[in-house]
Amino acid sequence: MARVLIVEDEMLVAMLIEDVIVDLGHEVVGPAMRLETALEVVEAENVDFAILDINLAGKQSFPVADRLADLGVPFIFASGYGAAGLNERHRQAQVVQKPFAPDQIASLLERL
Amino acid sequence: MILQNDTPNIDPFRFLGKDGEAAEIIRTYDWSSTPLGRVEEWPPCLRTSTALLLQSPVPIVMLWGEEGVMIYNDAYSVFAGSRHPALFGSNVREGWAEIVDFNDNVMKVGLAGGTLAYRDQELTLHRKGFPEQVWMDLDYSPVLDEEGKPAGVIAIVVETTERVLAERRNREEYERLQNLFSQAPTFMAMTSGPEHTFEMVNPEYQTLVGDRQVVGKTLVDAMPEIAKQGYLDLMDDVFKTGKTVRRAAERVMFARTKDAPLVERYVDFVYQPIRDERGAVVSIFTQGSDVTERVRAENHQKLLINELNHRVKNTLTSIQSIVTQTLRGVQTREEASKAITNRILALSRAHNVLTAENWDGAELRAMVVSSLEAFQVESREAIRINGPDLRVGPHAAMSIALALHELATNAAKYGALSFSDGSVDVSWQLLGDKFELDWIERDGPTVVPGDRKGFGSRLLLQVLPLELQGTATIDYRPDGVAFNFATSLEAVNDRPALEGV
Repeated sequence: MARVLIVEDEMLVAMLIEDVIVDLGHEVVGPAMRLETALEVVEAENVDFAILDINLAGKQSFPVADRLADLGVPFIFASGYGAAGLNERHRQAQVVQKPFAPDQIASLLERL
Repeated sequence: MILQNDTPNIDPFRFLGKDGEAAEIIRTYDWSSTPLGRVEEWPPCLRTSTALLLQSPVPIVMLWGEEGVMIYNDAYSVFAGSRHPALFGSNVREGWAEIVDFNDNVMKVGLAGGTLAYRDQELTLHRKGFPEQVWMDLDYSPVLDEEGKPAGVIAIVVETTERVLAERRNREEYERLQNLFSQAPTFMAMTSGPEHTFEMVNPEYQTLVGDRQVVGKTLVDAMPEIAKQGYLDLMDDVFKTGKTVRRAAERVMFARTKDAPLVERYVDFVYQPIRDERGAVVSIFTQGSDVTERVRAENHQKLLINELNHRVKNTLTSIQSIVTQTLRGVQTREEASKAITNRILALSRAHNVLTAENWDGAELRAMVVSSLEAFQVESREAIRINGPDLRVGPHAAMSIALALHELATNAAKYGALSFSDGSVDVSWQLLGDKFELDWIERDGPTVVPGDRKGFGSRLLLQVLPLELQGTATIDYRPDGVAFNFATSLEAVNDRPALEGV
């Protein structure tokens, strides 16, 4: 069982990802729905994996990705922008295009 | 006279010493009808001068005596056009009647011993039967008689009309180019030499680079920031290779104002080498357009399309969430269908309110009214809405709309709105920087707490507080449910997704 951080600013989508993670037998951290909250959670909690939305109420989530990368925590982006929304540093990061099938998340988590 | 009669074999015109048209006219002309009198009686100075001008390949005319009787050479007769040969032997004031004032002055000055010199003197002559603008270099000097007194005026006449007209055309062409340059809608600059010294810039160029003196300076001195951005190397390259360089929508930073931050502009431009007669590059002509507004509009459009795609994908994901979660909590297919439809409609209504505001935010009242409209009971005010005017961000507006939909759905099913005289008070208030929203059901049945893991409860009590960083409480009072949500004013004022665009 892994502790999975969810960073997602839309309620309905956050609930969906939460369900997917719980159904896969993992524990949810968050969801953190704003950049500031997400940064606090990354510092305060032990996290094994993270799923990041790119746009958090008008702010980009890259500072969270930067911190996770520094800490060596694997993460993926889940975004309506797809890979086009990524910045230079995270160009190579895994991206799940929204909407997604639970299997996509499952297979990414299994690779851990 | 007697002397000449005595020597009939001697040619009285032998002094002319030259054959030619003018010489022939002199021989046959009836000089006795002129103030000069018969050739045999001409003074030596007149004979010598006549011979001298006849020998010259340069157009020369002599104006003899007060009257200015005209004697000229073959070269001058070409200049005289159709006036020739009638002009020969005539008085200058009559022969060139159209410029009598000019020649009057010439005679006066010349016979007083003075000289006159004109360069590109403009005159209007009628030598071809119509008025004609001509230009001439004219040099006048007196011819002295045996006593050293001026007896006539000799004029060297060189027509310069063709050269003057050519020069004028060149000048006009140059002025036309200058005009084009200064009125061109594109920016232009001419730089010369390997250091790229500015020779000329047009007003558009000046607008582009800002209000600073560039003409006379090298690129490095005039615009160091441009030189540093690679344009010195680029111009050096054009100068060395002679190859034209074209760039489109290039981002260039200009130090338009001293000590102020650089200004970003996008430009299309061409560096065109200019060569001398031997083919060596001597200058570079820079020409182009400031396309900043166009590039920004294109970027903005790209961003909008991107954002639209993002929004569509997010909405599809929201629908996915509604469907999967609704299916978890229902018993029958009919119940599922109804709940899914109603939640999608709630989402759609919230979209309507946000779209009307360009997804920039919404008036909270408009959002509340729109979410609860479907639950209002006809003929009485079952849902009372109260609160101050408040503009909320797009996220808060959407979240509150979805929360109210869940509360109202429950109330209509199990709560106050399921009773004929039950009612709901929806209100919000601001206390300093605190925001509070209350949903209070009255005169309804006592409701037992539902499944805390159900969609509605999760959304209201777990996710809404996370989304809007606040606290949510629900109280199951004897006559109905009371829901309270409290957060900061800042949290409901979230900024739009497109901020800064």
